[in-house]
Amino acid sequence: MAKQKTTSTKDKLSTKSVITWCPGCPNHMILEAAKRVFAKLIDEKKVKQEDIAIVTGIGCHAKIFDYINTSGFYGLHGRVVPTALGIKLGNPNLTVVGFEGDGDAYAEGMEHFVHAGRFNANITLIVHDNQAFALTTGQATPTTQQGYKNKVEPSGQHNLPINPVKIALASGASFVARTYALNLEHMTKTIEAAIKHKGFSYVEVIQPCLQFNKEMDEIRKLTYEIPDNKDDMDKAMKIASEWDYNTKTGKIPIGIIYQIEKPTLEDNWQQLSELMKKKVGWKRK
Amino acid sequence: MRLNILIGGQAGQGINAVSGIVSAVLCSQGYFTFNYRDYPSLIRGGHNFNILSISEEKIGSHESKLDGIVAMDDKTVEIHKKELGKGGVVIDFKGFEALGRNLNIALAGALIRVLGIEKQVLIEAVKKQFNTPEALDAAEKGFNSQNKKFELKKLDNRLSIMTGSAAVAQGAINSGINLYLGYPMTPSTPLLQELAGQQEKYGFMVFQPENEIAVINAGLGASFAGAKVMVGSSGGGFDLMTEAMSLQGQSEVPLVVYLASRPGPGTGLPTSTSQSDLNLALRAGHGEFPRIVVAPGDPIEAIEKTNEAFYLSEKFGCLSIILSDKHLAEGEFSFATQPNKPIKVEVKRKVPGEAIVKASSYEHDEAGNTVETAEITKKNADNRIKKYQQIKKEVSKFEMIKIHGNPKSKNLLVGWGSTKGAILDAIRGLDYKFLQVLYMKPLSNEIKKELQGANKVILIENNLTGQLGRLIREKTGISIKNKILKYDGRPFLSDELKKEILKIK
Repeated sequence: MAKQKTTSTKDKLSTKSVITWCPGCPNHMILEAAKRVFAKLIDEKKVKQEDIAIVTGIGCHAKIFDYINTSGFYGLHGRVVPTALGIKLGNPNLTVVGFEGDGDAYAEGMEHFVHAGRFNANITLIVHDNQAFALTTGQATPTTQQGYKNKVEPSGQHNLPINPVKIALASGASFVARTYALNLEHMTKTIEAAIKHKGFSYVEVIQPCLQFNKEMDEIRKLTYEIPDNKDDMDKAMKIASEWDYNTKTGKIPIGIIYQIEKPTLEDNWQQLSELMKKKVGWKRK
Repeated sequence: MRLNILIGGQAGQGINAVSGIVSAVLCSQGYFTFNYRDYPSLIRGGHNFNILSISEEKIGSHESKLDGIVAMDDKTVEIHKKELGKGGVVIDFKGFEALGRNLNIALAGALIRVLGIEKQVLIEAVKKQFNTPEALDAAEKGFNSQNKKFELKKLDNRLSIMTGSAAVAQGAINSGINLYLGYPMTPSTPLLQELAGQQEKYGFMVFQPENEIAVINAGLGASFAGAKVMVGSSGGGFDLMTEAMSLQGQSEVPLVVYLASRPGPGTGLPTSTSQSDLNLALRAGHGEFPRIVVAPGDPIEAIEKTNEAFYLSEKFGCLSIILSDKHLAEGEFSFATQPNKPIKVEVKRKVPGEAIVKASSYEHDEAGNTVETAEITKKNADNRIKKYQQIKKEVSKFEMIKIHGNPKSKNLLVGWGSTKGAILDAIRGLDYKFLQVLYMKPLSNEIKKELQGANKVILIENNLTGQLGRLIREKTGISIKNKILKYDGRPFLSDELKKEILKIK
């Protein structure tokens, strides 16, 4: 019996581009989660497909740009946050979601990352943190563990990694969450909550790189789900401090680490509030 | 008749208020003024001065010999007395110490008296700007302290005063700007502040992100989403933007960039002037992609050319760079003419919210998805060149060059941007033709004909290496041998420039 063919919303979110990530790369899972969330939001009529705009940096993560059928800006390495903020300035009614690598977000783009919470534009930033520059063949990023040997540092990485979650908390992000790329269900629900949050939402996705930083794959058994934390900053800092991005023992909490309501960029600027009220961008004003 | 009055004092004493009141009074009396501002990079103390040049005819520069000094401190007379001509007047701050911060108004009043203008005109101007009993009292005291030395009778000219920065703002507003992004850096800051002050009135938005890299990437994001966007900076701030200018070339998202030059390299002289960033504007960004570089020479041109920059950038999805400098950005010009009627700038392209639209920094297919094939790489590159041909055609509808002075003269001066005022003032009454280049890219084909038709050609630029001269040589094969170049961080003074021009036989 022939199967009846219907086009689901998720199918409509696919493109014809050939996926060129390594076989088994957790980026496939992040793509799946993003498409599931977008499809759900569209099906629930929370957003129209043409109202979604994605932004990517440069690196393995950024290939996601070609695989999702929404509007988008394949930007520069490290500049996802200002590009996404700019799209919001151009039309505050768009749902803007940035995908960025750990090299992008925490090395080249740290100067933007720490300001995103201050402006608190209603945008979402999803960082694919595989603790390595993968597309340039495995150099260390700011979250790479000490001792990691690579072609640039044959004797191993000397520095301790930064903790981006603590940086996000300290710099005023109004939604901070961590998830794990191989836990599809958790990742999907976290990304959905991030997009639904009003303000700057940051989702740190721990994502093993099976090609280069293989040793960090050991941490997959360490993750555990925490109940959502709201606006308790001390507790959030404690949760964020449970794992230092360096050790391969102990526990790695995943879930919503911090969430607070505060005025957004769009609330603070009358010009943007008016565009939102009229449900238009500058073009149709 | 031409007078040059220096107003000097410490930063924070309010010398701009003196030149402001006097310019406003002179403007209402039909006199053309040009106000030059000279100040070091500090907020309080030091030595700042303005030179207010006054004439019955249109002027766009100041001169080296002074007819008067208004001194707000001891240092001013000490530093500038050698520039004072025979019979020059000194108006001193001594005697007005009791007026405190209204000293500047008293000195403005004194200068108005020296110029031989009625007291009532002064009182009305002070009322308009300050209107406190103390200010009016200070103006009166200043006026009464002096004797009339000149006799500036009222003329019929109807004049306005504007800085180059205010004019670029006007051009942007005429184009329907939606968003201006900038990060403070002299001399581009005046435009940032000018537009910020007008955003509510005209319903656009001005935003200051964390740095220039954020400025331009956010600018491209906003333009992608359908806004008409301009970003601006100077020197090093512009350097930080260059990677994203290259992104503009690949993504073809319209963008207007304002570059107000100052002397480099490095931090250079932050509050001085220079035309040394022409090469930068022409070449900033890796890869090969079309762009427009336009350099207005006065506020009227700044209004018109800013509008053209918006129009072209939106029509072709290209980068338009408006090249200015400290002298144009902060010089206060008076003029009697009106700019051309603005061209309408319309966003006709599909934007997110209306359709699925992709912009990319990667080589891409028509849908915007990444492609790395040889065929598409070549096709896209060919399209970029084709687009530049179309841009050239469209730009030819606008004034790409201007001819000033005696159009039949065989003596040709070549220059661009803010040197216009000094050049025009220098050649008044001389047998010279001045070719002003407005579009630096694309460059007009007329330039070659003008050079070939002249017997004597002199290049005049406010930089060390004659960057326009090199550009002209690149495009025409003609090398201009005679050069008058000034690169001390100061603009040309028309009388000194005239001497330099006449030296070249």
